[in-house]
Amino acid sequence: MFPESAAPERELPWERPGRRAAPLIPHLVLVWSLDEPDRIGEAIPIGRRSSVGRGEPLPEDPAPRVMPQRMRPAMTESRAPIANARIGRLHLLLEPENDGVRIRCHGRAPMRVNGQSREDAVVRDGDVVELHNAAVFIVVSRPKELPALRAAGQWEFAFGAADRFGITGESEAVWRVRDELGFAASTDRHVLLIGESGVGKELAARAIHGLSNRSERPLISRNAATLPDALVDAELFGNARNYPNAGMPERSGLIGGANGSTLFLDEIGELPEKSQVHLLRVLDAAGEYQRLGEARPSHSSFRLVAATNRPLDALKHDFLARFTHRIKLPGFTERREDIALVLSELLRRVAAGSPSVVGRFFERRNGQLAEPRIAPDLIVRLLRHPFTHHVRELDRLLWLAIGSAEDDYIGVTEAVDAELKDATVAFSDAADVSREQLLAALREHGRSPTRIAKALGLKNRYVLHRLLKKYGIGSSAIDDAGSS
Amino acid sequence: MTIDARVLRETLEHTLAADDSFPKRFYDLLFSRHPEVIPMFHRNSPGAQRKMFAQKVTMIVDHFEDPEWLARELAEVALTHQKYGVRPEMYAWVGDALIDTVREACGAEWTEAAERAWREAYDRIVRSILSTLSQVSSERG
Repeated sequence: MFPESAAPERELPWERPGRRAAPLIPHLVLVWSLDEPDRIGEAIPIGRRSSVGRGEPLPEDPAPRVMPQRMRPAMTESRAPIANARIGRLHLLLEPENDGVRIRCHGRAPMRVNGQSREDAVVRDGDVVELHNAAVFIVVSRPKELPALRAAGQWEFAFGAADRFGITGESEAVWRVRDELGFAASTDRHVLLIGESGVGKELAARAIHGLSNRSERPLISRNAATLPDALVDAELFGNARNYPNAGMPERSGLIGGANGSTLFLDEIGELPEKSQVHLLRVLDAAGEYQRLGEARPSHSSFRLVAATNRPLDALKHDFLARFTHRIKLPGFTERREDIALVLSELLRRVAAGSPSVVGRFFERRNGQLAEPRIAPDLIVRLLRHPFTHHVRELDRLLWLAIGSAEDDYIGVTEAVDAELKDATVAFSDAADVSREQLLAALREHGRSPTRIAKALGLKNRYVLHRLLKKYGIGSSAIDDAGSS
Repeated sequence: MTIDARVLRETLEHTLAADDSFPKRFYDLLFSRHPEVIPMFHRNSPGAQRKMFAQKVTMIVDHFEDPEWLARELAEVALTHQKYGVRPEMYAWVGDALIDTVREACGAEWTEAAERAWREAYDRIVRSILSTLSQVSSERG
């Protein structure tokens, strides 16, 4: 017998060195660009001290120049240098710090961070960096490379565009969801989609169906909240002829209709508990169910994709247990960097359906509609808005902006301004505001105390008055009849 | 003759920063002096045209010391211009409007060296474009 120490070592899969989570690196993700709108979604990594500017690296660059990247799962592609004419040859110097990235503006297009003019600032996740009328970035932490998909080859579409199911986004969160949808699609098990209203649950259901081997038959889709209580079972399971009344036609029901395909039931949380119990058997027993008024069982080979925006405890626990996959769909709070791409996609759809309504908001190249004219302020405000209904809400805001636009661009009109809230702006300590910053804000925002206070990140106009007094600037510099 | 690319870049940076509407000013000057060229710009909306112009000018200036890139880019420009019916005398109109716009935007920063650098750079660009055009016409000819 060999002594234990001399036994040949075998590598056991569970004893291989574990894959550690990739470290997150701050990135500047482009969300608006005047000259290069087709580059929205590209990300500039800031793993070390770096320079950002237009064109190729320069000998005088104070730090290595980083190029924007297109990040896709397991594939990070470095792109051409920035060609935006309004971005200087050396515009930003970036330096990671313990709790963020120090960003210094060297270019002539002035920088604003979260709406405040800055030459130098430390930025963190979610902060918005504007280069005046040139570009807008959001700071997002991501791994250096997005993890590979479990089922690759299913998601081939142009960078920044909608995929074939209409899901738009290049964020890490949206790619994680695509991965989960692809994996769920390959397994033929029932799926529960969880997410707030407007996160795209129907698109996700279409993706699961479209990626599955049931895709040749049409998806059967129904909102459970629209099923009348008294008829839920008849709608789901169908009924025999002349049941419950003479003259009633035979109906296959949603489950029978979905045989060989996928049944998507939205708002499943609205389904009465009794009906949830009735569904248990068909979800378990190889699709066996009984139509109302029939003694013999029927069979349907279907996959249920259900969706809910309610807490999971609103569903019966044994019903919930039938869903092998539970996929949480992220709202805009978890993928703010996708807002601009989704907005462009919504606009493209509007343009395709009603070119006469929105044609005036687009540039034309070679006689064709090209990029939409969207004011950077609108993107900045949308990035800070606390969305509750996500894409649906963005669509409504877009139509509000279109309907109230007085010019040939889409921007923050009074009507849009009234709807937008400011969720992420950090209020400055008045002590941090220098006299120069105050004077710059006065020059930039005229005499409106509200706008000046907002630009400086002050809590209200009274703090502004204290600052004016501190720096010996008379209150007559602003219009504020109501203050004292 | 050596063209001072540093002066070109500095004055262009100054122009881009000093006047937010530099491409608009250029087209205003060109169209007011030579209204006959206006119909040549019907394919693109004014905003798209201005963006394309600003990008092209900055890219050419940024790559001015890269003769291969410049030759390739200007050959493409020449073929596009030929397709759109640009006539040789129009290059002087464009050059004057461009240099006047840059000079105006630079204000007190404008020097004789800047004037010389822009004139010489523009001449070199036009010569390159015209040589491509004559090559194309002799090949067809």
